[in-house]
Amino acid sequence: MIITSAKPLEEILALLKDEDDIFVIGCNVCAAKLKTGGEPEVLEICRRLEGSGKRVVGWALPTAACSVRSFESLAQKNEKINEAHCILVMGCGSGVSTVASVTEVPVYGSNNTLSLGGSSEGKLLSGQCIMCGNCTISEFGGLCPKSQCPKGLLNGPCGGAVDGMCEVNRENDCVWNLIYERLKKIKRLDLLYSIHAPRSMVLNNFISNILI
Amino acid sequence: MLFNFREKLNSSKFLVTAEVSPPKGTRFSVPLEDAHQLKGIADALNVTDNQCSIMHMSSLAFSKLLLDDGHEPIMQLTCRDRNRIGLQSDLLGAYALGIRNICLMTGDFPSCGDHPGSKPVYDLDSVQLLQLVRKLESGIDFAGNMLDGGTSFCTGAVSGIDPEKILQLIKLEKKAKCGADFIQTQAVYDVGMFEEFMEAISHLEVPVIAGLIPLKSLGMAEYMNKNISGINVPEEIMFRMKEASNPIEEGLSIASETIKELMKLSRGIHVMPIGSHKNTPRLLSMAGISGK
Repeated sequence: MIITSAKPLEEILALLKDEDDIFVIGCNVCAAKLKTGGEPEVLEICRRLEGSGKRVVGWALPTAACSVRSFESLAQKNEKINEAHCILVMGCGSGVSTVASVTEVPVYGSNNTLSLGGSSEGKLLSGQCIMCGNCTISEFGGLCPKSQCPKGLLNGPCGGAVDGMCEVNRENDCVWNLIYERLKKIKRLDLLYSIHAPRSMVLNNFISNILI
Repeated sequence: MLFNFREKLNSSKFLVTAEVSPPKGTRFSVPLEDAHQLKGIADALNVTDNQCSIMHMSSLAFSKLLLDDGHEPIMQLTCRDRNRIGLQSDLLGAYALGIRNICLMTGDFPSCGDHPGSKPVYDLDSVQLLQLVRKLESGIDFAGNMLDGGTSFCTGAVSGIDPEKILQLIKLEKKAKCGADFIQTQAVYDVGMFEEFMEAISHLEVPVIAGLIPLKSLGMAEYMNKNISGINVPEEIMFRMKEASNPIEEGLSIASETIKELMKLSRGIHVMPIGSHKNTPRLLSMAGISGK
């Protein structure tokens, strides 16, 4: 799940200050789960934009804002998009980019995109993966130190943890402690002794896209 | 200089290194004067690399200034601020300028210091940085390209001393495997704990230089116990600091007693006073160390 947080209305209004005839596109996957772009939030932002004197021409809720076949597929959901002078996407940065790639009018994002995370037992798990493009998570018992350790250390913890809590944020567990507990549970403490080479950034999706 | 630091490391001499900080600015006379007090006493001066993520003059530049002033520097190098290109290029530069000793560490996170918004790099970790240094010695760079002249550093790494912290011990083992020439530890107050640590790593054939921070007050001891990982000031020392009429003198007495104990357990000590080295020569003479 892509973790997003909603920008304050004032910031959205500032983005749209020279715009009118707005079409709102939500996202029925991650943003809906996080209440930053599901139907209730889309309806709420339409209401608040109108309350602030903006004209909203319509809205649509594709299954995923980051997976849109074409402009026509959006128009099939709501033909009012043809009247839009701009589009507000209530998804992650990927959703905004995808919508921008199939439309001709200015596109704005209503959210801040924070990380690739998840949720479990009612708890939001942020920053679970940095999408390095060269996954070795199984060597760490299923917890990625590259993403969950602020320093991304692959060969063991830094010297900064106090009582098992992270040097950078004392409210977070040091992920290396969690990795230790996990490897102990699955009887693979031997993995702690492997010396890991640094990641090659060439394999990172972002860079490889540019290289291709 | 009769012996360099690497030769001393291989000798039987009990070693003394001391931490010095580059200036915050371009004027360097004050820290050079501070270092001057250690001439003839310290075997090498360990130059911090933007310690606590507080921006200072580079450890490379200040190491060179110390070298020109007749000291033997150990240049600290952290993983925080440079990617593998920057690290290698600084290592080549340091070697070309005559710096022969380095000490590698992860580095505090930027949010601890005075530029909290800066980008944390950590392209390599401290184990990988050791591997990189070893590679430069073979005359090729980390990517496998030929160098026109390699390096040959006496290379240290750091460690905590809590024998219960298995992950720290495993990491230390990796550092030893990657060819660390010496290990410099977190400050020691609990000699019993240090003894257990030395037993736990007795299978690693790497000289250990024990860290030492003379206490200045009870508050300082309390702060370190609460906030600094791996530091354990025992109750007995806390009591002595509490009762002391002159806490600075008491802190020096405690430190000198600790040094005497450490002489039986470690290859040397690394003195890291908070502030200047004003009291370091006296501390060492209290411990019976009179210099070269």
